[in-house]
Amino acid sequence: MKDEAIYRRLFRTALLIRLVEERIIDLYPSDKIQSPVHLSIGQEAVAVGVCDGLKPDDLVFATYRSHGFYIAKGGSLDAMFAELYGRKGGVSGGKAGSMHLAAPEVGLMGSSAVVASTIPHAVGAGLSFKRRGASQIAVAVFGDGATEEGVYHESLNFAALMKVPVLFLCEDNGLAVHSHRPARQSYRLTGHAASFGIATRRVEEGWDVLAIRRATLDAAARVRAGEPFVLEIATSRYKEHVGVGEDFHFNYRTSDGVDAWKRRDPLIVDTKLAAALRPEIDREIEAAVAFAEASPAPGRAELLTDVI
Amino acid sequence: MSIAAVKPVQDTRVLSYAGALLETMDAALADHANVFIMGQGVDDFKGIFGSTTGLAEKYGAARVFDVPLMEEGMTGVAIGAALVGDYPITTHIRADFSFLAMNQIINLAAKYRYMFGGLMRCPMLIRIVVGRSWGQGAQHSQSPQATFAHYPGLTVVMPSSSQAILDMYPAIINRHPGPVISIEHRLLYNLDFTVAPTDKRVPLTSYIARKGSDVTVVATSVMVLEALRAAQYVEGKAGISAEVIDLNSISHPDWDLVAASVRKTGRLIVADTSWLEYGVAAEVCRQLVMRDPGLLRQPPTMLGMAPAPCPTAKSLEDIYYPSQHETVDAILAQVKGDKHGIALPVERSMTEGYKRFRGPF
Repeated sequence: MKDEAIYRRLFRTALLIRLVEERIIDLYPSDKIQSPVHLSIGQEAVAVGVCDGLKPDDLVFATYRSHGFYIAKGGSLDAMFAELYGRKGGVSGGKAGSMHLAAPEVGLMGSSAVVASTIPHAVGAGLSFKRRGASQIAVAVFGDGATEEGVYHESLNFAALMKVPVLFLCEDNGLAVHSHRPARQSYRLTGHAASFGIATRRVEEGWDVLAIRRATLDAAARVRAGEPFVLEIATSRYKEHVGVGEDFHFNYRTSDGVDAWKRRDPLIVDTKLAAALRPEIDREIEAAVAFAEASPAPGRAELLTDVI
Repeated sequence: MSIAAVKPVQDTRVLSYAGALLETMDAALADHANVFIMGQGVDDFKGIFGSTTGLAEKYGAARVFDVPLMEEGMTGVAIGAALVGDYPITTHIRADFSFLAMNQIINLAAKYRYMFGGLMRCPMLIRIVVGRSWGQGAQHSQSPQATFAHYPGLTVVMPSSSQAILDMYPAIINRHPGPVISIEHRLLYNLDFTVAPTDKRVPLTSYIARKGSDVTVVATSVMVLEALRAAQYVEGKAGISAEVIDLNSISHPDWDLVAASVRKTGRLIVADTSWLEYGVAAEVCRQLVMRDPGLLRQPPTMLGMAPAPCPTAKSLEDIYYPSQHETVDAILAQVKGDKHGIALPVERSMTEGYKRFRGPF
């Protein structure tokens, strides 16, 4: 019963993310969102399950594909749409856009378009928490491609050596832009991390918010006790790497894998719950779109603010 | 001639560059609980050439600690700590190694405040040391002030004396709102300087290191000392009054000060520690020309590294950097013309001079 209530709550957040991004798809041809968007459609359960397994003051350091984490952490929808529109009412006044969403008031500590670059930030924040004796933990969110970058390895080594309370969270969608993992990696993530003496876990059921939530609760507890942890969650990117379309016609992948994933995707399968929740969510989104439409564009007065 | 001599001479003392660094690092740790220092070797017996020696013992391994060889990762760790309110100080014993951290410095630290519309701040101090002499070669000798100062969001300083460190570092550490890169010079570390109690209200700016009326020498880092020595020589030999400006704050210099000096003298020499192409020398000229193309009476003289990677052989290195000889010649030529006929100092190698040199400067 308790799980049922949690499921409903998490399903709602995941549906919110999906519908927000579907609204972005609708809006995109209008050119009102004049910046690249990296949609997390298919990956929503990861952001939702993970953020629900954290405490509100735990900090998340994210990537350019972070609409999901922004919403799951509790970022304002109005400020998000205004940010995508490049408006003053945006969370960063329009200077950040889709790729750099942040909401420090709810613990989303920025997102970067340079792959792997925020991983050491989570380690640094975790190090500070440890020095202060705080019970907070930091979470580094990254894709499987990011683990090929040198800074990932530097971060694992440092976190293991210094016993930093940081959760390394890999969203494994198997793709780096259009490159499949077997063409890129000579290692398995969990075995590699274990060689640093870091505890690891892989969750295959990346569509299952409850399984992800449980795995995160377990991992976060170990991190809170004072050691890093690598949590790898299999997931599926339904859309193209960047943009709002599909990319199966480019023939670098078939739709088979995505179709198999969709057959287990609660947001698609659980039509009854989706239908029940949808009207309210739609109203929320339309209000946010209206807020963005009404928000003025930044101008010359804002061009040089926040430059030191 | 002393940089400190332009200020009231009271309560002065003699302090080495490394000593000034150690004092400011010590004070930063004592005054601010959120300050920590990390870098390769900060807690070892050499202590970044004596600038962190004993601090790990005094403040503990949680605040002063060695790191693995991970320049990018370390800088990212520093950013993360800064984002949650700590103040990191990182070190690179050669500036060249900071290039491994360029991604974090340029793509992240420099951007975070602006890119997030003021939501994020990552104030920190990155100390990097420029090497010179005794075969530093191509990868232990670079002086990247122009590189870093090119990017909005970074503050770049080049302290040329113990006084500059005492004035600037306490104003930077835990006070300056953004990331600061301080480019220290290895040749300066063992030099003694006369220092006065610090009373700077605007620490991140440029200074007149020596007043003069015939020619303006705008200099950075160790070239400030070279310019001061040259100015002293030409005054004695030829009665030339050279004004020396220590640019000091490379990303945020006092261009009005520079322009006013050049307006007075009509003659300009820029003496920088790096290459001239797209560098400090080029920027000084841009700033002056944009203000008033008629400021100069004659073409300026630019002194910097030869346009090549730094060679290791001493015979080549000695002609790679501008020497005392060339600095003096530049001043004489600016004021008296190319055929000035005045004897130049015998010294060819500046680093030889610094080995003999025992300040105070």
